[in-house]
Amino acid sequence: MKPISSLRRTSARALLATGLITSLALVSGCAKSEDDAAADKKPAAQGGSGGAAAASGTGAGGRTCTLDAFGGKKLDLKNATVGFSQSEKEANPFRIAETASLKAEAEKRGIKLLTANGQSQFSKQISDVQDLIAKGADLLVIAPLNSDGWQPVLSSARARHIPIVTVDRKINGTACKDYVSFIGSDFVEQGRRAADRMIEATGGKGELAILLGAAGNNVTTERTKGFEQRIEEKAPGLKVVFQQTGEFSREKGQSVTEQLIQSKPGIDGIYAENDEMGLGAVNALKGAGKQPGDVKIVTVDGTRSAVQGIVDGWIDGVIESNPRFGPLAFQTLDAFTKGQKVPQDIVIKDSAYTKDNAKADLAKAY
Amino acid sequence: MTQLTLGRVTADRDRLRRLLQDYGVYLGVAVLLLVNVAFTPHFLSAENFRTQAVQVAPVLIVALGMALAIGTEGVDLSVGSVMALATSLVSLYLGYGPWIALLVAVAGGLVVGLANGSLIAFVGVQPIVATLALMVAGRGLALVLLPQLKQVHDPGMAALGSGAVLGVPYLVLIAAGLALLTAFVVRRTTFGRQLLALGDSRPAARLAGLPVRRVLILVYAASGAFAAVAGVLATARLTASDPTSLGTLMELSAITAVVVGGTPLSGGRVRIGGTVAGAVLIQLLTATLIKHDLPPSWTQIAQAVVIVLAVYAARERGKR
Repeated sequence: MKPISSLRRTSARALLATGLITSLALVSGCAKSEDDAAADKKPAAQGGSGGAAAASGTGAGGRTCTLDAFGGKKLDLKNATVGFSQSEKEANPFRIAETASLKAEAEKRGIKLLTANGQSQFSKQISDVQDLIAKGADLLVIAPLNSDGWQPVLSSARARHIPIVTVDRKINGTACKDYVSFIGSDFVEQGRRAADRMIEATGGKGELAILLGAAGNNVTTERTKGFEQRIEEKAPGLKVVFQQTGEFSREKGQSVTEQLIQSKPGIDGIYAENDEMGLGAVNALKGAGKQPGDVKIVTVDGTRSAVQGIVDGWIDGVIESNPRFGPLAFQTLDAFTKGQKVPQDIVIKDSAYTKDNAKADLAKAY
Repeated sequence: MTQLTLGRVTADRDRLRRLLQDYGVYLGVAVLLLVNVAFTPHFLSAENFRTQAVQVAPVLIVALGMALAIGTEGVDLSVGSVMALATSLVSLYLGYGPWIALLVAVAGGLVVGLANGSLIAFVGVQPIVATLALMVAGRGLALVLLPQLKQVHDPGMAALGSGAVLGVPYLVLIAAGLALLTAFVVRRTTFGRQLLALGDSRPAARLAGLPVRRVLILVYAASGAFAAVAGVLATARLTASDPTSLGTLMELSAITAVVVGGTPLSGGRVRIGGTVAGAVLIQLLTATLIKHDLPPSWTQIAQAVVIVLAVYAARERGKR
């Protein structure tokens, strides 16, 4: 009995292995996507290219930090090693553009940049940062996955007087002690600007729907808060009659919008809290036989597909959430290491796309 | 005298329970339809029914494969990841035209299903563990193949996602066809009998000389292929390949549809009609709550209530 069963087992394993290897070979060997078929080469420049234009930021709150207050000694950024810890896999346009922007700016300034990616696992990001310190990073730029849980890293960085700049999310700690500055977008302000755009597009009258982001996410709450506040203040004629989550995904955005236009065919505007849900809404409107402009859509993020949506007439406005932190981050570190004052909170400038500039600025979108 | 009546009452209650277990899901669908006709504006329109049918189609197709796996006293947790893998493959192979891309995607699902089935049938790994492994690996592979969302421009794919014959969308036709096929296989073929027999008691099936391993492998291969078809259809509907989010939590929706439809988790019984109704019930429930703009968390709570009710009915039946 035994030899037979072990033979079977071996053959099963062989079968499995062959199957998987064949499939992998197939998959990687002869793939041919639409782009390959059309052989259209898209411009390779992404993210980094538009960076220079968006380099300006403003200090908010006015609190500043200096090298004297933080501790440590002056150094020339040109001879320094900077470590960058990215939080999530570069699998969405935002993260891709963010990492590309930091790399491009480091290259431009001739600075040695070490990078690591936490792959959406907080424990990995923590060990990433410890690795970066061990590899000799003199300064750190961190895009944190979470705001909390950074104390062990912060204290080991503080012991070596390593200045930290956090981008896109904050670290809970004391500014100018645990870290130097935070550079990020103002999500409430993005909501307000989306509302302004919506008021303009609808003429300030009608019924609105909101496609909310993922529940329990500060981006969702802040983008909703800003939007609702501004609508209430400036356009009492606009009523939000529908608020459902699209979980930041195109598929959910489409499904929810399909339900919406069936039960409320007269809806005048849809505010999508990210581009993906907005593009899902466009799919749903197309499927329902609506024409571009029948329902006004305003989204937040500024990805290339959404800006293309403006060019095509389906989307009325895209408020950018700027991922190009490279120039500002290095500017801040440069000034700081020279001994100058730098703001503790820096708000990155987000641009916006409407039909007036969408075509011209399409290449700038990430 | 009292004893007699009591006995009759129990018998009546038993019968009621059995009726509720067998037909409760259809009753649920009927009640939800009536509620919506009465309270939801613009519910009674062809357009609305089309929307609900199109949205439920991928879930239903995945649930059909899941019903087979559950019928063998197993489960397939990898279905959501197989959808993601299928969407990546479609995007990678669309250069050869939509048919080739579709075939490659379904072949990919088949390979994952065969791997699941081999692990379960030959290596003896528990279905929940084997398919959990491929759930994790499948999503990983999908993201390696296609790291981020990619637009699909192929007109053939777009037509598949939004086209219709005599007002019935392709997606709905395909889902209905696969449901009929599965029902036929379960009820009318030797393979179906063998599947149910081994779900009832695997030792007995083995002693009776049934090809247990072959049946198990075929069941998981079918589940993988169905999930891949669902992934392709979802891609066509979205006109984009999104391996990051496509199919997430799909395994739970599919299991819910199967269980609510009256297929017991203990195997030996597969109810395809019930599975269809189960999927429709969940879809209508979600649609109702969305159309009335109730907080999204309510949908989840309502789904949980439906699952608990269905499992409660099944429990009573098992005790008898």
